Parts: sequence; structure tokens; C-alpha cells
Amino acid sequence: MSDWHDVGSLADLERDGHVVARVEGREVGVVAVGGDLRGVRNRCPHHGGPLCLGTVERRVTGRPGGYDLADELVLRCPWHGWEFDPLTGACLDDSALRVAVYPAKAVDGRVLIDI
Amino acid sequence: MIDCDIHPQIGDPEELLAHVETGQRDWFRGQPYFGLPGYSWSHPSSWYRKDLAADGRPPGADVEAVQRELLDPSGTAAGVLNADDAVLASLMPSPYRAAALARAHNDWIRERWLERDARLRGAIVCPAQDPEEAAREVRRAGEDPRFVHVVLCGGSERPYGEPRYLPIFEAAAELGLPVAIHSGGEGMGIAAPPGGAGPVTFYIEWHTLGSACSTMAHLVSLLVHGTFERLPSLKVLLIEGGIAWLPGILWRLDTNWRALRSDTPWLDRKPSEVAREHVRFSTQPLEHTDGHDELLWEMLEAAGAPDVLCFASDYPHWDFDDPAFMLKRLPEAWRERVLHENAAALYGERLGLVPA
Repeated sequence: MSDWHDVGSLADLERDGHVVARVEGREVGVVAVGGDLRGVRNRCPHHGGPLCLGTVERRVTGRPGGYDLADELVLRCPWHGWEFDPLTGACLDDSALRVAVYPAKAVDGRVLIDI
Repeated sequence: MIDCDIHPQIGDPEELLAHVETGQRDWFRGQPYFGLPGYSWSHPSSWYRKDLAADGRPPGADVEAVQRELLDPSGTAAGVLNADDAVLASLMPSPYRAAALARAHNDWIRERWLERDARLRGAIVCPAQDPEEAAREVRRAGEDPRFVHVVLCGGSERPYGEPRYLPIFEAAAELGLPVAIHSGGEGMGIAAPPGGAGPVTFYIEWHTLGSACSTMAHLVSLLVHGTFERLPSLKVLLIEGGIAWLPGILWRLDTNWRALRSDTPWLDRKPSEVAREHVRFSTQPLEHTDGHDELLWEMLEAAGAPDVLCFASDYPHWDFDDPAFMLKRLPEAWRERVLHENAAALYGERLGLVPA
């Protein structure tokens, strides 16, 4: 059953790249991932950093000696730079770590998250 | 909580240059980065935590920012300000420029930081490439009891146990100041290359090896040269060089000492025993163990933990250790000692003193 919560204004999200709010005792945020919105627990499972204040960017890939930008978008923690798949919450470089992710949407200029 | 490693940033170069003697001020003004050697291995993204507000200045460039983002939320009782930039003065080709910059930085720390928050303490920067001049600066700046240690950078021409550096350690011991060796600067300016096998290629390589290898090299050098036999009251704090390797290097050194004692006959007991008595290590960046923390604690106990460990955050750098996170991660029985008591014992009376 859906349980949508208002976590901020779409204008703030468009300006900052994220909105963050406390919902049911948890700090969560919504980040823009390409043209979509994604809800993410605002606590990096590595060291507790504010993950939603990180950056969404294309993942750098490459074979030895070469660099490329993949189409895949990742959420990078603003503290230590660990990268997460914003769709699944999986840490891309440590299979033991995962952050909770949630559906999110914009309605009438407000950002909603489904916890 | 006592934080042994906070990095105040220089928001306005002119604030620092105001403390440089007038005859040298224009030279520094005309150089990129104060004439300090630049990093050949630069972080691919940012040296700083990206969640810190900066408003065009570097994060951590104001007392208010450090209070808001670190001291207040963590309940830090005392935090030591280690120079980020000026500590690299030791790697400038000119000892004269280095001495001027070190003096200016120590005065800037006193005026801009120590005067503005009673929780902050200073670290004395000195031109290590000119040890006699460095010792003079240690004695000058050390008159202010709010300076609680001397800080040298990991990058150096030779390991710090070399007799040429003794005047620095003598001055520190005379004043009751520990000497901190903070990783960084390896391979820059007049420093030896990082890693022990020639210059490295990537930042990840430099950050993994440079800091750890220089820390190991200084530790072993200070021990085998008999620095602590010469200066029985001296304490050394090794900052940001990693600690998971510590038991291994001490076991290796003890083993070699038993077989090769005649090479350094002034060592009359196991080097690891001397290290336990005289050397402390900052926790940051505490290695991520992939679920093997228990193994890390057990190994560190073999090297003297928790008594040899002192908490450090490294604010505002990207590889910062959050005080609240560390409070939870450390074994409960270690917390008080690592977060407060060990550093309080290391710094002693200076930690509580303010100038009359």
C-alpha cells in the first residue's frame, strides 16, 4: 500500500539537486536522476554521510589506460565518494552495502516519497 | 572528545601574507599557492567533503564553519589545527622562504583561530629542511601554550630519525611538545618519491602508499636511530598514515632487531616496546575492513591499542572520519581512551593552558 509523504518543493529540488526531510523517524531525500525522481535514505551505509547531498553523475568506466563515461547514473556520497545505484540502492563497489531507496514523484510543485 | 587533526583552510591569502615579513611579501604574493610545491597527484573529484557550505571560500576557512560543522555537533573539547598548506613549506627548495611562511602561518593560526575559540589548539609549522631554523621557530611559537605539538609533513628529504633533524626534536622535547608527523607531501618539491619504488602514477596509488609508506619509514627511522634513547621525554604522533599495518611492521622490526642488533647497538630493548611508550597514532582514516573489524581490533591490541590510538577527524577533507560514527564503530571498552584520554595524556598540561 502506498504511503506518500511530502518532503519539499520541486523548485528546491531543481535548484539544489535534492530535498531532504524526516519521515517516520528516518531522514530521507529525493534526488533527480536524469528526468526521474528517486527517494533515498539520507545515510550512507559506509560511514553515515548525508548521501542525498551527493551528486548524481555518469559513472566513469574504462579498460586499463582508458577512460569513458557510461550511460549509467550513480549517486556519489559527498563524503568518501562511494557510488550507489539510485534505482536499486546497491553500492556498486561493495556488494555487502545497500541503501534503502523509495519511489518518488512530483505533484503540483511538491515532491512526494513513498515510504 | 579531543580531535588531533583539523585542517583550517586559508580563505583569503592576504590574511596570511599580512604576517609575512615585508621584504618577502611580494614574492609570496606573486607565486601560485604561496610558492609551495603543488600536488602532482590530485584527487579526481575534490579534496573536501562536498556537503560543506563554502560560499566561494574553501570549506573550513572560518572559525564559525568549524564550530558549526565539527566542534559543536561532536562535543569536541579540544581540537588541534594542523596546517594543510603551510606544512609543505618543508619541501620548498628555499629554506628562507619556508621559514618566512612557517612563521607567518603560526602567527596567523594564533590570531585568526586560537583567539576566537578556546577549544582550538595550534600545531607549530617549521622549515624542516633547515633544522636549526626550524628549532628556533619551535621555541618562538611554542612560547604560546596553546600550541600543543610540532607538525612535520610525511614528505621529507630523508627519514626523520636522521641526526640532521635532531634539533627539531630536541626543541620539541625541551618544551614538552610532541612532534606530529602528518602524511602528505610525499614526492612533492624536494621530498623523496612516494611508495618506495619510484614515483607513482595515480592519486589512488599515492593516497594508498605515499601516506602509509612515509609513516612506516619515519616510525622505523626514529626507532632505529635511537631518537627516544637520546630524548627520553619525547613523544611522537603519527597522523593519517593508516594503522592496520602497524602490528606487522613492529613484528618485522622486532624480529630483525633480534638478529641484527649489532647494526644499532644502542637499542637495548625491543623497538615495539619503545614505540608503545613513545609513539601514538591517529585513527583516521581507519581502514574499512569488509566486516572484519574484530580482527583489526585484535591485531591492534598486539601493537598496544587502545592506549596508542588518538582520535582524529581530518575535517574538512574528503576522507574525514565522523566523530559520531567512530563513537559507534570503536569497541566500547576503547572509546574513552581513544576519543579523549590518550590525547589528553599526550598533550598534558598544555591542553588546558591559556596565555596569562
